[in-house]
Amino acid sequence: MINKYRWYEYIYIYIGIAIFVTFMLAPFLEAFLVSMRPLSGIFSVPYKIITEDMSFDAYFSMWHSVPKLHIYIMNSFFIASSVTIISLAVVIPSAWAFARFEFKGRDAFLGGFLAINMVGGAVLIIPLYKLMQSLGLLNTYWAMIIPGAAFTVPTGIWLLRSYMMKIPISLEEAAWVDGANRLYILRRVILPIAMPGIIVVAIATFITGYAQQFLFALVFNSKDVLNPLPVGIYQFFGRQTVLWHELMAASLVGILPVLIIYIFLQRYIVAGLTAGAVKE
Amino acid sequence: MGQLKLENLKKSFGNVEVIKGVSLDVKHGEFIVFVGPSGCGKSTLLRMIAGLEDITDGNVIIDDVRVNSLPPVKRGIAMVFQSYALYPHMNVYENIAFPLRVEKLKQAEIDSKVHKAAEILKLTERLNYRPGELSGGQRQRVAIGRAIVREPSIFLFDEPLSNLDAALRASMRIELSKLHNDLDATMIYVTHDQIEAMTMADRIVVLDGGYISQVGTPLELYHNPENIFVAGFIGNPKMNFIDVTCMGTTKTGVKVQLPTGEELTLPVAPRDGIKGQTLSLGIRPEHTLLDGADIKLTLNANVVERLGVQTVVYANSPGGEEGLSEDPEETNRFCSLQDGLATITPGQDLEIGLKASDCHLFDANGAAFKRSVDLLDSKLPDM
Repeated sequence: MINKYRWYEYIYIYIGIAIFVTFMLAPFLEAFLVSMRPLSGIFSVPYKIITEDMSFDAYFSMWHSVPKLHIYIMNSFFIASSVTIISLAVVIPSAWAFARFEFKGRDAFLGGFLAINMVGGAVLIIPLYKLMQSLGLLNTYWAMIIPGAAFTVPTGIWLLRSYMMKIPISLEEAAWVDGANRLYILRRVILPIAMPGIIVVAIATFITGYAQQFLFALVFNSKDVLNPLPVGIYQFFGRQTVLWHELMAASLVGILPVLIIYIFLQRYIVAGLTAGAVKE
Repeated sequence: MGQLKLENLKKSFGNVEVIKGVSLDVKHGEFIVFVGPSGCGKSTLLRMIAGLEDITDGNVIIDDVRVNSLPPVKRGIAMVFQSYALYPHMNVYENIAFPLRVEKLKQAEIDSKVHKAAEILKLTERLNYRPGELSGGQRQRVAIGRAIVREPSIFLFDEPLSNLDAALRASMRIELSKLHNDLDATMIYVTHDQIEAMTMADRIVVLDGGYISQVGTPLELYHNPENIFVAGFIGNPKMNFIDVTCMGTTKTGVKVQLPTGEELTLPVAPRDGIKGQTLSLGIRPEHTLLDGADIKLTLNANVVERLGVQTVVYANSPGGEEGLSEDPEETNRFCSLQDGLATITPGQDLEIGLKASDCHLFDANGAAFKRSVDLLDSKLPDM
């Protein structure tokens, strides 16, 4: 049996996993611990994990320190959701087209998408600013949503295309023979079968949309009410002090929606990323 | 009605011509089987009739309408795929109802049609199951159900049984034949399995390299193959071929000399100017006898396979090289079918007898000489 290990091999494996998980989770743990302490206790030496004065106070006081905090959180969620919806609306039909149809320039387009991924948003931020300016979109939600969607489309197409290529073509042919048109096939046959793949793309897009909004919001937006959380929490930086504990509390609350979605949909992510074939 | 006419149909993929000119007339209600080795173009031909492949040249005519540029649904055909092509996310009911939903029929109408189809195919109990929960045979029946609800004039089957195990295949063959009788529809069936072809077909179309090699009833093909390809393809084990030299013709036949030096007159229609040519004598393994023959060959048995009902004996070809050929398809081997309890052991010398009336004769181009034997199928009722 290939998956049988000796006891000491199990120990090695678990040590490896422990190191990896520690690196991944330590920032979250530290953020959580900081959020639990009063501001005066954060920089105390020597470092203690558990201190006596721990409380959830920061989670309540942060709403007063930054009154618009709930708006920033809603904005973040709204922007990331809009990015996801717009991106999916483009990705699903184009991934199907790239997976199934032979057309001129198909491979060139796919290569181009990869190239865009390599460049990324930060490099293009100045030209994008000019573009947003001439379109009159500065200081609107659109200025944060449109670039966000645009930069997630290429990855989405690549991900979903490889998933859709595994759907047996005979399913589409059977539907075609039965009189279904392309849109009907996409809706009734391809969409349901590709759903695990689509959910993976949706989650990846949402997380990317959530993460990259900072850059676009910082550059394209100066209206406070439109700011997403990553920009909004800058207001915890006061003139004299930085309210680190409240800042961390706000960050954790801001991450929460993504975390919850991830927990509920993680079985799809695993299934989607590892699916060998669509079961016939 | 379900008439189908193919007129000089051609298909090329790039520079490669796959179908090189196929013409065929199919009457309403016929069960036609396309058979041939892999790569002969039989599936492509079926997909051209279905409308899944463009037609490079020629015409497909269904019920007197040229359908070359019509989409599949307008051609009045339904197709059953080799992989079943069931929608995994829909239950059996929805799978069967799919074409009706596309047509936007009323729910009541869909209901009655699906239940009728399910009854014919004995799927009523399974209507709420997903395809993944069904056995191979049941899945195949669902695929057929999806085809029959549309009440097409022509059914197209693309190797529908090749994913099933042998026992299930045998019973599905019987069910398909029954279905054909019940539905009174034209069926075009593609297979590489000659047993399926022989058992189900009204007429078999043997395809070879993009051409039709021969069209005929199963027994016509068996008893009167028009060429060496059909002779070798139909029948299992394959027909044996022996190179012979033509010694001359008589009124009743052609006199040939075997590699062993013996001479035999075969009752086939003679032709002029063939004296001295090398011809191929064909003899089916089941027509090789241990006694009571016109001519005897002495062979050495290499391999003996005992199937219970029969014994299959492989020997080196008369006058050919010793031992087995490198290419297993090469006809260097001589096969003989004997009684299941025949006392033959490997390595034993065998006296195999042939009757002249059982032999087929082919010229250097592979074309058959017409046999003047009283054929069995002339005594069979017309099908």
